Amino acid sequence: MRRADTAFALLLVVGAAIMIREALRLPIAWTAIGPGAGFFPFWLSVGVAFQGVIILIRSLRVPAPPGREVPFVEPEAWRPLLVAFLPMVAVIAAINYLGIYIGGALYLAGYMIFVGRHHWTSVILISILLPLGLFLIFERWFLLPMPKGLILEHLLFGR
Amino acid sequence: MDLFSVFGNLLYGLGVALTPTNLTVAFVGLILGTAIGVLPGLGGTNGIALLLPLTFNLPPTSAIILLASVYWGALFGGAITSILFNIPGEPWSVATTFDGHPLAQQGKPGIALTAAFTSSFLGAAVSIVLFTFFAPPLAEWALRFGPPENFAVLLLAFATFTGLGGGDPAKALFMTGLGLLLSTVGFDIVSGQPRMNFGFVELQSGVSFIVIAIGLFGLGEIFLTVEEGLRLRGIAGRVGFRDLWEMWRMLPRFWATIVRGTILGFWIGVLPGTGATPASFMSYGLAKQFSKHPERFGKGEVEGVVAPETAAHAAGIGALLPMITLGIPGSPTAAVMLAGFFIWGLNPGALLFQTQREFVWGLIGSMYITNVLGVLIVLTMVPVFAAINRIPFGVLAPLIVILSSIGAFAVNNQVLDLWIMLGSGVLGYVFKKLKYPLAPLVVALVLGDMTEQALRQSLIMGQGSLLIFVTRPIALTFLLAGLFLFLLPLVRGLRGRRPRAPEPVTAG
Repeated sequence: MRRADTAFALLLVVGAAIMIREALRLPIAWTAIGPGAGFFPFWLSVGVAFQGVIILIRSLRVPAPPGREVPFVEPEAWRPLLVAFLPMVAVIAAINYLGIYIGGALYLAGYMIFVGRHHWTSVILISILLPLGLFLIFERWFLLPMPKGLILEHLLFGR
Repeated sequence: MDLFSVFGNLLYGLGVALTPTNLTVAFVGLILGTAIGVLPGLGGTNGIALLLPLTFNLPPTSAIILLASVYWGALFGGAITSILFNIPGEPWSVATTFDGHPLAQQGKPGIALTAAFTSSFLGAAVSIVLFTFFAPPLAEWALRFGPPENFAVLLLAFATFTGLGGGDPAKALFMTGLGLLLSTVGFDIVSGQPRMNFGFVELQSGVSFIVIAIGLFGLGEIFLTVEEGLRLRGIAGRVGFRDLWEMWRMLPRFWATIVRGTILGFWIGVLPGTGATPASFMSYGLAKQFSKHPERFGKGEVEGVVAPETAAHAAGIGALLPMITLGIPGSPTAAVMLAGFFIWGLNPGALLFQTQREFVWGLIGSMYITNVLGVLIVLTMVPVFAAINRIPFGVLAPLIVILSSIGAFAVNNQVLDLWIMLGSGVLGYVFKKLKYPLAPLVVALVLGDMTEQALRQSLIMGQGSLLIFVTRPIALTFLLAGLFLFLLPLVRGLRGRRPRAPEPVTAG
């Protein structure tokens, strides 16, 4: 956990430095309309970078705990975390084809099988009915257009 | 502003809140909010952010009543999970588990629930009255503020996060800066120049606050819950007439705790950057200190349920006071609501009282009604809400992920926002594990544009000189107060005895 704290602080300082560079592309001094567009972001990113350095230095000064160092993520917690995270990446990456409803149904079914270890009948039933209910709520009643994806568009409108 | 006009406005507001549409909206909001509060992993802040897109097609008055009702419902709901399942449904109900769950284990879940709901109701009722009479004069006073005063008030708001937010002040300050910095992405409000977008056209409209809030609070929380491997084993509970009678007979004994909790909670709620969570902890601590039997606390003392619940609800109401009068949210949940103001085409701040009578007084009127309605709903429907927790986590987690994606996409209809949401989710997870407080980030992100505008206008007024802040007495007072709060943690550190910091504020 100590090492993660330092590493993350370092990452934040690097991020702030990038923001400083981005702000410097704008006028940061006094212009015809008062302070330039880059004035506020520039001084903020300088402040954030400074604060990041302070956090970084302080993280280095934390003494090592007696006994075992607590890792940032316990080894056995990696699996459930990745099972939740990686399919999310996959579904968003394929959102143009799957859409939110079919993508969501697949995510739900996968999660129920691999994490919940539910019976296959309830997997099929829930992963069809729940997204269908959401579809009705958001598309029909609240008229919010969600990405439906090529597959669903084809089924609904024959395109 | 005389007393008569307050009563007149209040009657008008009650009328607005009692129209069939708004009453239905309040009822739906309460039910949804209580469900959100009951479910661990789905917090009030995130719940409101998710529901925000649904309000795009509602009139602003109904929209704010819906979101506020969800907030009140979530405040009630958190207690149910705390007492029956020993898992806080919300951060502000952590302190309720200390004595609420032991009571339930001793076969008195009904007493614990009645105690929680009744004291919430009382804390909220008194706070609503305070709210009604404090808000109009405060708004009237704030009308005289110019840019330097506004900037000083905003600075004071950010200072309270650092000085009073609990947790690491260095990290709180960092998060405030980061939030302000993120708000500059998009285009410059004064010159209209695109900026800080790293060449991405999609970023020109700025990073949406709601998308980031959904990621930080929604997905971040899911990742944390997934990691812990949440298992719920609860105690069945319902509230019977016997419980009501028994609890209400005890009530007069707790009057001091209720009064203390209400005043403390309301005040802490009004201060920006704090909110319901620290209020509930402090109220619990005080009740224990003042009690004749402090040793009974933690083992099923009814007073240990009354204290945090009174304060949490009072703080929830208080947090809306600076939001509606000054445009400064008192808590992350209020920040999400404030983000809604912009979407509904309203400018938060002092002018709201003058120009949006229906909106302001409709909200205030609805507080009176939803508080009564809410306590009736939770008292009668405990078993129904407790049954929500039977939803297996294997279904609940993906459902929250899907709802989050729908909510995030609905804001701007762009796929990039889904990636931003996912990125914020990972960041939220890391932030929480490394104890970076999320509240300053979220509130600073909402207030960024206002802060920059106030600062730049002040500088123009002062022709580039910072002296303008010193020569105006109100601005100077706020600045000095802010400076004091910024330096407070530093002074504490120098004196070498850092008092045990309260839980970092995560939501509220």
